[in-house]
Amino acid sequence: MLNINRRRAIGLMGAAASTLALPRIGSAQGERRSITVAVQKITNNNTLDIWNEQSNVGERVFFPNLWEGLILRDWMGDQGPVPGLATEWTRIDDKTLELKLRQGVKFHNGDEMTAEDVAFSFSAERVFGDTQPAGGETVFAEQHQPATARELPAAVPGVGRRLWPALAGVEIIDSHTVRFHNATPDVTLEGRLYAYGSQIASRRAWDEAASYADWARKPVTTGPYMVGEYRPDVSLTLVAFDDYWGGRPPLEEIRFVEVPEVASRVNGLISGQYDFACDLPPDQISAVQSTPGFEVQGSTILNHRVSVFDMHHPVLKNPLVRRALTHSIDRQAIVDALWGGETVIPAGLQFESFKSSDMFIEGWNVPEFDLDLARDLLQEAGYNGEPIPYRLLNNYYTNQTATGQILAEMWRQAGLNVEIQMVENWGQIMEEGERGIRDWSASANINDPVTPMVAQFGPNGQVQQSREWTNDEVNRLSVVLETSTDHEERRKAFARMLEICEREDPVYTVLHQNAVFTGMKSDLKWKAAPAFAMDFRTENWHL
Amino acid sequence: MINFVLSRLVRAIVTIFAVMTFAFVVLRLSGDPAQVMLGPDVPTSAIEAFRSRWGLDQPLWMQYLAYIRSILTGDFGTSMRDGMPAARLVLERIPSTLQLTVPALVLQLAIGIPAGVYAALHRQSATDRGVIFLSVLGFTVPSFVLGLLLVLVFAVTFAILPSGGYGSWQHAILPALTMSIGGIGILARFSRSAMIEVMGQPYVRTASAKGMAWRDVVWRHALPNAAVPIVTIVGFMVGSLIAGAVVVESIFSWPGIGRLLVVSVTNRDLPVVQCILLMIASAMVVSNLIVDLLYGWLDPRLRSQAAH
Repeated sequence: MLNINRRRAIGLMGAAASTLALPRIGSAQGERRSITVAVQKITNNNTLDIWNEQSNVGERVFFPNLWEGLILRDWMGDQGPVPGLATEWTRIDDKTLELKLRQGVKFHNGDEMTAEDVAFSFSAERVFGDTQPAGGETVFAEQHQPATARELPAAVPGVGRRLWPALAGVEIIDSHTVRFHNATPDVTLEGRLYAYGSQIASRRAWDEAASYADWARKPVTTGPYMVGEYRPDVSLTLVAFDDYWGGRPPLEEIRFVEVPEVASRVNGLISGQYDFACDLPPDQISAVQSTPGFEVQGSTILNHRVSVFDMHHPVLKNPLVRRALTHSIDRQAIVDALWGGETVIPAGLQFESFKSSDMFIEGWNVPEFDLDLARDLLQEAGYNGEPIPYRLLNNYYTNQTATGQILAEMWRQAGLNVEIQMVENWGQIMEEGERGIRDWSASANINDPVTPMVAQFGPNGQVQQSREWTNDEVNRLSVVLETSTDHEERRKAFARMLEICEREDPVYTVLHQNAVFTGMKSDLKWKAAPAFAMDFRTENWHL
Repeated sequence: MINFVLSRLVRAIVTIFAVMTFAFVVLRLSGDPAQVMLGPDVPTSAIEAFRSRWGLDQPLWMQYLAYIRSILTGDFGTSMRDGMPAARLVLERIPSTLQLTVPALVLQLAIGIPAGVYAALHRQSATDRGVIFLSVLGFTVPSFVLGLLLVLVFAVTFAILPSGGYGSWQHAILPALTMSIGGIGILARFSRSAMIEVMGQPYVRTASAKGMAWRDVVWRHALPNAAVPIVTIVGFMVGSLIAGAVVVESIFSWPGIGRLLVVSVTNRDLPVVQCILLMIASAMVVSNLIVDLLYGWLDPRLRSQAAH
């Protein structure tokens, strides 16, 4: 039985006080500190596999601390490419890219990374299953037959082909040189190599795992931190990997804890339990910033919120009505009211990062807010107030419900009768029947408009696959954007696609750029990247 | 007595079967797990592969027969999210749920019943009114308000307890307290009402009139007779031990069954949801079965009714 008397209580308090003091003594002796990061969700499907967990929350726990690719994204810079596990790369021809691997890179199991691991990371066994590359046959597949009877999750090959539609195979030239062979010409091969999914895993760890589920909960990678413990839906502890090729990581442990409620994350941060609280909605920013010792860091990310139109709806099949929808939205009012001005309205479905590949179309913008024009378009279309369904999820995206309500009211001002239908999940959103308007977001995985324009709205994008919209010219231009090596031709194709998709035959309309906000202790000299990813490498940790 | 037990057992099995069927049908009518699980951006081929992998492309009745067949052979299915056995996922969460629900139940019993009995024995006193006020307050304040209030006081203001999470016994204090307060209020109210009713019965007056000590009147005559409605409420509380508390576990980031249920429903992880519902239904049914049997033990009239 536990007996508490006054003396014992004082003793316990003393013990607690010394526990609090210990980390400070430790840090004085040069030991690294550990941090706790409260997140809304660690992963959506309880795996740490980059191909299986393709989500914003996954990006946060994976990059750049756990998974690394041959080419890395410059998370703290312009989001462009920087050397990673490969030190240099050369174009052999339109379809082939050769990369020299960095010497002395160690996996978390102590093995040295070789070309064999790279080839495995892009193999049928690891990613593509029995899918074939667009425009050609798989080569080198016989070198990567499954070593164990392990079933790849059903979604992985399809997701793999989304990023690498025409990758035919990876050829091993020598232990530290590989060649990526594409079945079709592709100027974005380098870009695809630093996109979410193209990271390198240890072949031996894969072969030795008892099952995919076991492997996917503790993948062996090359990052500065390795998986210490993963408790799905509870916590993920990343531990410093001292043999990291980039030098000793600055933190002993990074512990991501799952705290679904915003209020709980904020309370935990302010009470000192957490060092960081992620996924703060804009209305919580002032609550954190007004507390001494805490601050909020945030920035726009490479993701735009869009509304998507179903051209098969009896009313929306007329492009004039869709155009009226795009001109009825006062986007700045939404940004000011719901985001406190902390995000921006982008230049259509373009990202600043496109400038690094000279694919940014200057002068292009979202449709102007013009109620008179919207009303004229509706009159021309012969619209008579027929209802247009708007399937809406409850805050899947930040501020989604409020945005939806504001949009419906703005559309009403123009004379459009948009009826909000609250639904629970994506299955209900996409269910065939009377679909009208729905929400979505579009991400730039690489600094080229091939994502998101072709990936999301092209012939194999979800919009066309789910028969919401199609356009022959866009489909032809998608092929140009994907396979042409003529820069000017690609720029023209993209500009034309913007005209069609946003003006002539609207499939979507861009609302605003998304932003992410992180509350943190002010004494931590850490900067947030313009992304979900949280960089805890030496360069971004100055305590 | 055997007939009594058998009739209750048959009712229990029918109830569980009805819950299983209802959950199976409703879950499949409320959204495509493939689309929910894979998200809005995956290609159609991936969705079709997912449906085929999990048999979701089969007619509903075939899926149902396969489900019943596997349940009867002890196979609760595999999680669509991460490929782990659903039963294993659920069983992994039960201990953490019990770490909250058992202390909460103990607090409810240890405080709620004595408070209600004491209030009944001191009817119309200031204490009685105080108990009524606090019990009404206890079960009317929503747990998400109470939980956040406790966090603000004990974690944010005084910083003496963690605001959430899981790991040490300190982490369990606030969620267990949040879970127990409503139940304490309910038990206090029920205990008070039951005792007041019993205290007005002729046999209590008779016992007092024949000179029996007041304590014996309460313990030997009043309390056992007041126990039947209290046992009913306690039965529900025990039955919900496995179910955990969806709201409290979410507020305090407690990795119990409640949160697993929320996540699994959100993701339409059908095997896991079905497994959880089956376990909750079984716990509830077993608990009510025990309560029914206790009725028979506490009140011999029920035994004889069942026998006839």
